[in-house]
Amino acid sequence: MSVFIAGRGLACALGGDLASSIAALRRGGVAPAEVEVAPGFRWPVHAMAREEGSWLERLASAVRRVVAECGVQPEPGMLLFVASSSLDVGYEEAGHRFAGDVQTFADVVARAIDWPGPVVTVSTACTSAVNALLAAAECIESGEATEALVLGIEFSNGFTVAGFGGMQLLSPDRARPFGAERNGLVLGVAVAAVHLCAAPARWRIAGGANVVDGRNPTGAEARAVVAACEAALQRSGLRAVDIDLLKPQAAGSPGNDAIEAAALKQVFGALPPMVALKGFIGHTLGAAGAAELVLLTGCLEGGAWPAVDHALDPALGMSLATEAPPRVRHVLLNAIGFGGGHAAMVLEDCGA
Amino acid sequence: MTAFRLAAHTVLAPPPEGWRDALAVRLGQRPRRIGLWAELALHGARQCLDTAGEAALPPSARLRVTSLSGARGVTQASMDSFRAGLLPLPFDFMQSQPSLMLAALGAALDWQGDASFMVCRDTEAWQRLALQGADAGGALLGRVEAHGETLATEWWRWVPA
Repeated sequence: MSVFIAGRGLACALGGDLASSIAALRRGGVAPAEVEVAPGFRWPVHAMAREEGSWLERLASAVRRVVAECGVQPEPGMLLFVASSSLDVGYEEAGHRFAGDVQTFADVVARAIDWPGPVVTVSTACTSAVNALLAAAECIESGEATEALVLGIEFSNGFTVAGFGGMQLLSPDRARPFGAERNGLVLGVAVAAVHLCAAPARWRIAGGANVVDGRNPTGAEARAVVAACEAALQRSGLRAVDIDLLKPQAAGSPGNDAIEAAALKQVFGALPPMVALKGFIGHTLGAAGAAELVLLTGCLEGGAWPAVDHALDPALGMSLATEAPPRVRHVLLNAIGFGGGHAAMVLEDCGA
Repeated sequence: MTAFRLAAHTVLAPPPEGWRDALAVRLGQRPRRIGLWAELALHGARQCLDTAGEAALPPSARLRVTSLSGARGVTQASMDSFRAGLLPLPFDFMQSQPSLMLAALGAALDWQGDASFMVCRDTEAWQRLALQGADAGGALLGRVEAHGETLATEWWRWVPA
């Protein structure tokens, strides 16, 4: 693909922009805060720093800041993709009824930044942002567009935490990706922006794939992880040995981490160095694909690296890199979501 | 870029009486715990493939579904119980996610592949976007709306010209 990343922006639990997020990561991150979502039910969440204003005002403020950081200059006709799992349930939760239909959330986001072009919602749970990036990249690759903006947004709400909690998927303390004592996910809030363009830039989206397998609607399916990774490699014109760094889903789930580990070993044989980010920003669901892409490329450019401070599960045979690999040209990002969603995307550092 | 022709177009607005029974017969069992909105998606997709004369969706086809209503009915009900201090029931919470409908479609069609839920107010733009990148397997596109008791679904099967 001749699709490049022209700009990035991020607001997450680590900080209000990419630079402050990387600085916080260097300091070891920020512990999640406990949130009570129903009487007697509390879980830790990697929330963003609380700002003043209503839910909509805080959303608009975060979106404006992140879009400004990524430096996109909106043009009439330019496509905007809004990737989200929870959409506007936080607004409804704040005492309102839903403001409109499924597209209303994206409309509100577009209005916040005076977006002059078509607006598309992508909602495929935790693979939403990867699918939005791939859809935007296809538009550019086909010549339909020369630029597009992808926003991954998972904004504060208790309903999603309660939903995951009710399914007994959440950790009571912290996320331990591939950890020996992993006991569930910790959710996170994030707004991430990725400005894609046809003009060459440092990072190129080399290819990707999305594979839905309906046999296990709530968890990972090994053959689908394999299919997504292999298709992403094939579309990138690469082999498994060409991948220098792997960012797995690795949310700290007892079951899904094990399934993903087995599938990745099948794809790669000898695994490349790996990095897990969900212990630092939480699982940001529909925003995760964009938020983790922005944070990871920022870390690689800035020489920052997430510490690994938990013991890994020897039964999984996985390891997490304790420092950045010396040379990273190709990065594979893997994502797994509710509804049998499995997606993989390959990035190329054209400057490496 | 691949050129496509429309092999089948199914409009069920509203779906015929007894459609849920017909779906159960067609699938060999009643769909369980996926909700009315997702069931309607299954019915529309299966009808469209039947009209196209296809027993199965090719693995290389892409599946795109859109909806302005989504599963808002069940989401709203789940939100109401949450506001009353209860955790959402797992199946209600899962049904609030459009991706559960994609999983149900994959399972009902015995198909694994590129499926996504994308919404755009401009239907033509959505169709163009949905077909972008599709190749030999073409695409199965669907719109599924459930506004209270008012149900409607429309499906398009595009195959290479």
